[in-house]
Amino acid sequence: MTPDSRELIDRLASEYALGTLRGPARRRFERWRASTPFVDERCRFWEERLMHLAKDLKPVQPPAHVWPAIQRRLNLTNRQTALRRVRSFALAASVFLIIGVAALLYWRSPPAIRATAVATIVAKTGEHLWDLQVLGNVDRLVVRAANLPARPAGSDYELWALPAGAAPVSLGVLPAAGASSRTLTVMQKQALARSTQVAVSIEPLGGSPTGQPTGAVLYVAPLHTPS
Amino acid sequence: MNPTTESAIEFDRQLEGLLNRCAAADSQALQRLYGLVSPILFAAITRILRRRALAEEALQDVFISIWEQAGQFTAARGRPMAWMMSIARYRAIDLLRRERLAPTLVAQPEEYRMIDADPDSEGSSAAWLPSAEAMKRCFALLSEQQAHCLELAYCNGSSHEDIARLIGSPLGTVKSWIRRALQSLRQCLES
Repeated sequence: MTPDSRELIDRLASEYALGTLRGPARRRFERWRASTPFVDERCRFWEERLMHLAKDLKPVQPPAHVWPAIQRRLNLTNRQTALRRVRSFALAASVFLIIGVAALLYWRSPPAIRATAVATIVAKTGEHLWDLQVLGNVDRLVVRAANLPARPAGSDYELWALPAGAAPVSLGVLPAAGASSRTLTVMQKQALARSTQVAVSIEPLGGSPTGQPTGAVLYVAPLHTPS
Repeated sequence: MNPTTESAIEFDRQLEGLLNRCAAADSQALQRLYGLVSPILFAAITRILRRRALAEEALQDVFISIWEQAGQFTAARGRPMAWMMSIARYRAIDLLRRERLAPTLVAQPEEYRMIDADPDSEGSSAAWLPSAEAMKRCFALLSEQQAHCLELAYCNGSSHEDIARLIGSPLGTVKSWIRRALQSLRQCLES
């Protein structure tokens, strides 16, 4: 990297962090940041330094209904109930252990977090790409990446539920490697319940900016109940 | 180390701990984090968007992003407050573009209750701000117009064009003030 290009990156990073880099240039720079550690490093430098401009910002208490709305969108109320149930079960199991009925527990299957729907996404060439598990009883989606095709720089693969008679609903960006686990929103759960297929499209880094697929739909896979 | 620096480090550690717990899907940590930082983030968002419903929608989006991306945050990547403030400001700027709101010089909508600047209350102290000395020194080198342009861009989410209209100066002059201001800050901060 030449000193000139370093200076250019630094200048763009400062304008990006300030907020004056706008429109398509801002989108392009975000993609560049996501793929280039030096760009990311300069953005973080400026984000931290320019925060000084907020020195006179007086905290404003958000209205009381905002937090419950976030909980609803993330399904956190159900999660807390589920966690309490798991904790209660753990306590009960401990008591059983103490009174010597471990053998009984041995026979019982655990209160499993189980997959309520699964899908395997494969390429036309038969190459295994991703495994999906919908953990319906804890409202989570687990995705494991297998053998991923090379993707164009500055793009992401995005997963979609295809509910019958309705527009696709995003299930988030797919991991490039390893596994990801995310909480399903109410909308995503409802869409999955009405879907027999899922699809993968190619999107700008970070996912579709419109909430609907904007790039080519590359893969479609059946969603079915695990056997 | 002065008391402000110490409290900033302690506040950062607290936020890092909560983000780690969010990454492990601990919803109580998100609630605690919301209690600590939502007043600051909401102030930043409200100042940019200026519409109640839109600012509330943005704040929801921001905490959903924080929850989903908490695993990507590591202390080595900088200060947690800068990370969260960036998520908030960038979301507000995106919504601003979507809604094409007219720029204004009004600093703050009046319909929201300000939190009293009690230095001991959580989230209302300046513990979340970056180390002040170097920044104060470098910002002091800027001209009044340069500092004003940076503040309008950062705090109000104003574009070059918005700023030119608001202060009644030619667009080229505004761009030049901002470019030189950032250049001056860069030289000062790295010297």
